[in-house]
Formats: sequence, structure tokens, C-alpha cells
Amino acid sequence: MLSPKDSPLGKQLSQYVCLRITRMDESNVALFERDWINTLYFFILNADEQIYMRYGGRDSASADTYLDLDSLELATRQGLALHQRYLKGAYQPAAEPPKPLYPREIPLLVQRTLAQHACVECHLIGDFQNIQRERDGTLDKLTHLFHSPDIKTLGIYLDVPKGLVVKDAQAAVQAAGMKPGDRVAALDGTPVWTFGDLQYRYDKVDRRAQRVKISVDRGGAPVELTVALPERWWWTDLRYRQSSVDPRLDFEDRPLTAAEKQKFGLKPDGFASQVKYVAEFAKIRKTHELRAGDIVFGVDGVERDALANTAELFIKLRKKAGDSVTLDVLREGQRIQMPLKTYVLSFRK
Amino acid sequence: MKFLIVLASALVSFGGSLAAEDNGIAWLGDYREALRQARETRKPIFMEFRCEA
Repeated sequence: MLSPKDSPLGKQLSQYVCLRITRMDESNVALFERDWINTLYFFILNADEQIYMRYGGRDSASADTYLDLDSLELATRQGLALHQRYLKGAYQPAAEPPKPLYPREIPLLVQRTLAQHACVECHLIGDFQNIQRERDGTLDKLTHLFHSPDIKTLGIYLDVPKGLVVKDAQAAVQAAGMKPGDRVAALDGTPVWTFGDLQYRYDKVDRRAQRVKISVDRGGAPVELTVALPERWWWTDLRYRQSSVDPRLDFEDRPLTAAEKQKFGLKPDGFASQVKYVAEFAKIRKTHELRAGDIVFGVDGVERDALANTAELFIKLRKKAGDSVTLDVLREGQRIQMPLKTYVLSFRK
Repeated sequence: MKFLIVLASALVSFGGSLAAEDNGIAWLGDYREALRQARETRKPIFMEFRCEA
């Protein structure tokens, strides 16, 4: 067992009031907001409902890329230290608590789960919030669809058992001066203690931002870094968000290189892309008749977009589930047009 | 995924009752009660969200 009372983690946990929530019905989902795709998540807080830190989070590769017992024990130790400082008046958790929000206040969630006495599954909170936002006209796909941007896109590779200690710094963070051995301490001025904190704060960065400030601890001294955010830093592989991806296209593609665009006579700044995978569902749902290898260079006559670098991303960002579009396709040297009807998951209807 | 499975089996579920013992560690299932105990004991709260097993 992982947490007997005399184990390192058990000794830490015995200094806490331990609470396990298995139903979200009565939980304040504003206070305990997180990326709802996570089925296991931890918070460390005080009796005044002030959150010290989070533990959890994942990337598209795996549900436990950033989770292990060493980092969990480290988090519980840091949580106890912060609490002692709080009791002495030497530490104040940063944020004001958000306006409470309960599942019973999300109409679609009530209609589809609570009213049917079904469990309010965590992912459903996120999914139905998005559907509600889309209906209310407040859905920001860059934020709400492309949730939890990957810190590796910035070049941050963590030494996971050591929490936020950097194992390798590449790309944008390397250019900003981050070094292996640094410990990430704050993002845009907000302290972070765990990967869960870092991912949560990184997700809060405005998707139109061009820079982010990261503070690191280097040998006990604070170092402030200004990191230039790369193009499409918010993009993540959405395939693990099975019920959150909207609209469904039943194909995947890759951006063409500049040389390929030139070779095929396509716009150099267009979003032309090559289909690399077609889901079997495309035939069953009659979504489209694309084949692997096809090049999609236009959607409804549009070939360029300020954000999208592929046809797949263009449709995901600019169209709603259920929309029909006409694709401009290059197949075996011939330019053809082809209809595509995006698919809507039944629970979204 | 391995860590999640191991952790989920280690931190045994208890069906949402008010309290349960898990390897000598008492787990509460009621948020308000956890706040009350934290205030009384001046301990912090370690809060786990997970699906029902």
C-alpha cells in the first residue's frame, strides 16, 4: 500500500484533515475549478477555504506524465509548511475566492444528469459548461476547447519526482534563460508549487498574449524570465478529450511545409494540409470521402486564417458541430471539391 | 496511467460515507465536516476528488 500511516506520505497525510469527494453534486465547481478531464485531482487548503496548491493534471501523452508518489509527498510537505506560515500570519494565498458555482446552477448539467439522478461526472462539468457557453455566445475555443496547453511547447521538461525542478530547458524558455536545475516558482507573478499549479496558471494566460513571465529559483536566488510565447502555444492534441472535441471531423492532418506548398502551387501563407488519417467512422457517419494523402487547401473558399495552420484546425476553430462545408482538395494532382458534414455527439444535441 | 491505478487502489474508496479508515488515515466524505475539523484542529485539508470506484 502507498500510504500506510508510517510511510513518508502517510506521515504527511496524518497531519491533515483528509477529505475524499466522489460526487460533484454539492461541490463548488468555481472554487475547485480545474481541467475537468482529470478524474483524480487534489487540493490543499485551509479551513477558510483558501487554496494553497493543487496536485494533478496531465498531458495528451498520458494521464500520469506528471504524477508520482515523490512529487505528491513533496506537495504535502510544502502544503504543511505553507499552512504553518499562514497560521503565523506570514503567508496569504493570493487570489480572492471566485463567486460560488454549483452543478445545480448549470442548466444543461441539471437536465442531463441531476434530473435523471445520474452522477455528475467531472468531465461532464467541462463539457456542459462548453455547450452552455456556445449557446450563450461566450465560448472562446482557444481557451475552452484547447484547455491545458502543454508546457513542453515552451520547452519546459520537468524532473517530475522533484516537483517543479527543470530537467531540461529548450526552445522558448531556453532562449529566455531558463536552465536545468532551476525550480519554477511563479507564473505571471502567481506562486506555483506543483505541476498542477503551473498547468492551472498557464491555462489562465490570455491566448492572445505574446509573452509570459516565469520566475525561477536558481540556487536559492530568484531569477525573473520573460518568455516569448511561440505561435499557437495554446495548441494541444485533443484526441484524449473524446467527448470534449467539437466539431468532430473524422480525419487528422499535418501542415504542409513551405516547399510542399510551392511545389503544389498553393498559397505560401495558407493553411493547406495533408490528410494523414481518416477514421472508420467517416464512412459510417458519411462525414466526408477524404483519403489519406489528400491535400485540403481550402474550406468554403477560404485558404488563409490568422490562427489555423491546417484545414482541420480551421474547421475546429471557425465552424460549429453540425455545420456542412465544402473542401477544396488536391488529389493525385487534380483539384476537386468535396462536401464535409461535421459530426455532433449525441449528448450534445 | 499506472500511477493513477496504483494510487486509486491504495487510497481505498469508502462509498461516500462520512468517514472511513484507510491504512490508519481517517478520510472524511463531508466537506463541511472537514472544514469544521480543520478549524478545530488547526490542520490543513488534503482534499481528493476522484470518481466513485
